[in-house]
Amino acid sequence: MKAVCWMGTGNIQVHKVPDPEIVNPHDAILRVTRTAICGSDLHLYDGYIPTMEAGDILGHEFMGVVEEVGPEVKNLKRGDRVVVPFTISCGNCFFCKRDLWSLCDNTNPNAQIAETMYGYSGSALFGYSHIYGGFAGGQAQYVRVPFANVGPIKIENDLPDEKVLFLSDIYPTGYMGAENANIQPGDTVAIWGCGPVGLFAIASAYMLGAERVIAIDRFPERLKLAREYCGATTIDYTDNDVVVVEALRDLTGGIGPDSCIDAVGMEAHSNTLIGMYDKVKQAAMLETDRPFVLRQALQAIRKGGTLSIPGVYGGALDKVNFGAAFGKAVHMAMGQTHMHKYLKPLLKSIEAGKIDPSFLISHRVGIEEVPDMYKIWRDKKDQVTKIVIDPWRDQIGDKIAA
Amino acid sequence: MGDRAHAGAPLEEPFMPEHVSRLDSTLPEFPAAQGRGAIFSPLPQDTHDSRMRAHSVQTIGVDAQTLYRLWRDVTVAPRWMEYVISAEPKSATVTHWVLGNPEDPRDKRIEYDTEIIEDIPGEKISWRSLDSSIKESGEVLFRPATGDRGTVVVLQESAHVPGGSLGIAAAAVTKRSPRQIVIEDLRHFKQIAETGEIPNVERNPHGPRGFIGTLKEHLYGENNPTPPGTVVH
Repeated sequence: MKAVCWMGTGNIQVHKVPDPEIVNPHDAILRVTRTAICGSDLHLYDGYIPTMEAGDILGHEFMGVVEEVGPEVKNLKRGDRVVVPFTISCGNCFFCKRDLWSLCDNTNPNAQIAETMYGYSGSALFGYSHIYGGFAGGQAQYVRVPFANVGPIKIENDLPDEKVLFLSDIYPTGYMGAENANIQPGDTVAIWGCGPVGLFAIASAYMLGAERVIAIDRFPERLKLAREYCGATTIDYTDNDVVVVEALRDLTGGIGPDSCIDAVGMEAHSNTLIGMYDKVKQAAMLETDRPFVLRQALQAIRKGGTLSIPGVYGGALDKVNFGAAFGKAVHMAMGQTHMHKYLKPLLKSIEAGKIDPSFLISHRVGIEEVPDMYKIWRDKKDQVTKIVIDPWRDQIGDKIAA
Repeated sequence: MGDRAHAGAPLEEPFMPEHVSRLDSTLPEFPAAQGRGAIFSPLPQDTHDSRMRAHSVQTIGVDAQTLYRLWRDVTVAPRWMEYVISAEPKSATVTHWVLGNPEDPRDKRIEYDTEIIEDIPGEKISWRSLDSSIKESGEVLFRPATGDRGTVVVLQESAHVPGGSLGIAAAAVTKRSPRQIVIEDLRHFKQIAETGEIPNVERNPHGPRGFIGTLKEHLYGENNPTPPGTVVH
């Protein structure tokens, strides 16, 4: 089969590789019909996530048709159409049983690596380095899905693939980001990042009762989606007249946002001096993560507010104003998405017409176009907002924005 | 200093917020709680008498009797312990072990017998090697975990290290450190007990690895064979 392979920092290639096979009793093999490139794939592309090996197959947002099931998979059969959550969870450990699915004890074959870095290992992920298990990802024509009796959700409606694909990661991730923000009716929520996760977080914040959502980014096409589809008040932080912390004070009656959501993570961009500090330190490997958004959010947040962090962090921070967090009694919640908790309710929200997740797709491509698309995605060129891939076509070249 | 009479209406009743009044009624009296005090004693570490000691602790969401029976049935050991090709009972208490890489018959192997010293169903199994050149012993304890969490399993292994080279027997045939073997074996025991399978990426499709990719596989310990769990292939 064809698969998108990481061959080094900044080096993505499509290779012919062996098809996956059933290995364990709860496995299934999926023929992938649609997949996508995630913002967090860029951390792999840029070499910020350690333990990648040349040849690793990328991709953790995918859906398709069941080809084959292992002997212990009773709830799926060949021909079923499913979306697969990007976290691999066993369903029977302390954490899975408490709805903490991304913290599963039993799915990471390389748990010892994560234990060394983090103390304990969470669940394995598809296509996201060997710390997270080294499982082949879904930017390919077939995927092996472990614990297929637990993860995949069956799609039994007529909606096209691209309207349900984002159940695999970004919609639940944005939703959990909003849920973690502890939004009360009447609240004002500030969200950094109008990439796909940020956009779903904006929509989810309104679903959860926010009175107003303020969205911060620098790319016009992303701010436009935030404004026109999601109804946010947008701030372009590269506008020279804008000071973000002041803007948030002015927009919230002098109190600060009740909740802040960091949908940016470790590769935050900034034009300021401290942003340069982060970039230099990161380039010299003296700091692994760039916490520019965290600093700004901690400065801006209302006293007693809640900071929710769906943006990915992997290593260590430097010079974060933790005194602001303490001095204002800030609550924090974060982590990889507990996918299995959200799949059914969010599928219902799509079927009920509450949201059309395909609103943010800007590019539809075939598998051979993916290496070029990584560069465009990273450099935010071509007004890219989300790239969806049909792995069975070499070339589609449909670059019409939604 | 202002006149306090103007400071506002006086409080009428002593004000006792709910969480404070709970402190009075639902917590145990302190003298009873005092019975819980203890000093932590670490499990034995390596000492300077050339014995290597390693331990691992896991909480497994299965009852102690079931876990005891799973561990005690040595014929199942190759399904979850690393580098065990076979474990055959020779008598009620003696087991013959063949250690090596189950996936490569040409790799080095060693064979030896162990004997069970203590066997308390649902609580404890301890063993030692009967081979004079492999001075190894171990024990596993099963204790109830708090609440509904299941069972706490404590595994300890001890081995005499002649000339500082070999740790537990399995180290002769593996690429893992002896300490890591103990940790991984108990982790695999938990995985097979809670899910019936061991996570496995051995036949994972991938593109060309190149020299550095292959080296990394080795460094991350990914060339250690994964025990089969309840096998399909």
